[in-house]
This record gives sequence, structure tokens and C-alpha cells, in this order.
Amino acid sequence: MNYVKGLLDQIGLGSQRLEMYFLSSAEGARFAEIATEMTERVRQLGPNPIKKLEIGD
Amino acid sequence: MIIGQQKPLDEIKQIIADYQKVLILGCGTCVTVCFAGGEKEVGILASALRMATGLEGQPREFVEATVQRQCEYEYNEEVADLVREADAVLSLACGIGVQTMNERFPEKITLPGLNTSFLGQPAEQGIWAERCQACGNCVLALTGGICPIARCSKSLLNGPCGGSKNGKCEIAPDVDCAWQLVYDRLKALGKLELMTEIQPAKDWSTSRDGGPRKIVREDLRL
Repeated sequence: MNYVKGLLDQIGLGSQRLEMYFLSSAEGARFAEIATEMTERVRQLGPNPIKKLEIGD
Repeated sequence: MIIGQQKPLDEIKQIIADYQKVLILGCGTCVTVCFAGGEKEVGILASALRMATGLEGQPREFVEATVQRQCEYEYNEEVADLVREADAVLSLACGIGVQTMNERFPEKITLPGLNTSFLGQPAEQGIWAERCQACGNCVLALTGGICPIARCSKSLLNGPCGGSKNGKCEIAPDVDCAWQLVYDRLKALGKLELMTEIQPAKDWSTSRDGGPRKIVREDLRL
């Protein structure tokens, strides 16, 4: 995780776009909370800038 | 094996700044095993560079390839066409591979994407440790198979020194005292008398002190 986050920062995409959570299948409410939190975060960061580049990778 | 570590992406970007089409060339031997410059790392680096240079508004073309052993001309022959078509080669091999490429393809520059770190072994998952300094005159028979040249911080031949404490070296608490290891090993082997033999000052002429080294085997020459 730290490695990939570092790589995302170096690339210029930003490490905030990636997060890992540990939770069991019984934690539905927590899952929804995390999904909402990440959705909100990504919305604030804006669309993936790579998508505009058409580099096909 | 030779242990290497990939250079930071920013440094790699500077290294390749003058070239538009870059062949990223991995090596399938040592640096594959230490996860620094094999086929997988070539793929990750190429993707990262495509994205990074694209985001900076200066997209470049990156071609990916990996040869079995970049330190031998024969293997590099396989990528001759790719080298010809590229503006430069970014090698993920050790310094030997980089130089072999430059010697084999002098018309094209091969640049280093790795820092060649040391000769060592995978000590644990994700941890590599130095084991040899290629001094050219092996003393492992005297030291129970533990190298005091590579593993003692002072490369002492008659250790330990006063900086050995509870089996650790004074330079850092997580560094083993090589001479403690030698002592423990010789004791286990019933060869402690080897500790009492005073070794004369080492002749470093077989090491780097003698200048660049070369071995000539007349029986193998053509």
C-alpha cells in the first residue's frame, strides 16, 4: 500500500485516490460508511486526469 | 546475486528528459529476483512514466522488453531491432548490464534506471543483505563461512573490536557484529583455535585497490 501510494504521488495522480480498509463481511454498515467517505473524497479530487490523455494504458 | 534498487521516478524522468522514444529494458537474472528490474518492474515503470510524462504535458513513448541476462552480448542481440528504433535505452539491469549495452550498441545511449547496491542475498521476504565485497581473496575458510570484509563495519581481519556489544555492532543496534557471528560459528564447529591465529594485514591489491580487475583464462580463449 505504501509503495503504491508513493508511486501514485510520484506519478502525479495523488495517493489520496487509494485506500485500504480491513473489515469483515458482517460489517455492512461500516462498508457503506467507507464507500460514502471514499466517494466524497474522490468527488473532491475530481476526475482521473489520466482519462483526458488517451494514452491507452 | 547483485542487489539493485530502482531510482526515484523524478530522477528517471530527468535522465530520459532529452529522449522521445525510450526502450525500457529489464534483466531476467539478479534484478528480477530482487524485484528491482525484471519484466514486472519494467511494466510498472513504463506505465508510471507514460502517466507521469502525460500529466506533465510531455507524453513520451515507452517500449518494454526484458532479456535473460543483460551483462552478455548474446542475450542483448535479441533486442537489437528495438534498440535501433528507440532514441535511448533505459536499463533496469545492474551497472554491468548498462555498460554491456553501451558497449554492444555504441550508437545509442543506454541510461541507468537502477542503483546497483551490493552483492548479497535475500535474508528474509523483502529484506536483502550484503554478503560479499568481491575483494578477490576469500577468507571464509578462516572465519567459519562468515565474511568479515563485507559484514564487519571496519572489515577487520582480527576482530572483534571494542564496539561489539551484546552481539551487535556499535554503528547501529540492528547490525550484527560479524566477529561475534564468526566466534559463535567457530565455537559450534569446534574450530575456535582459528580465532587465535593472527591474520596479517590484508593485501588489497586483489580488490579495487589494484585498479579495474580482469581475469584471463587462456584455456578458455578462442
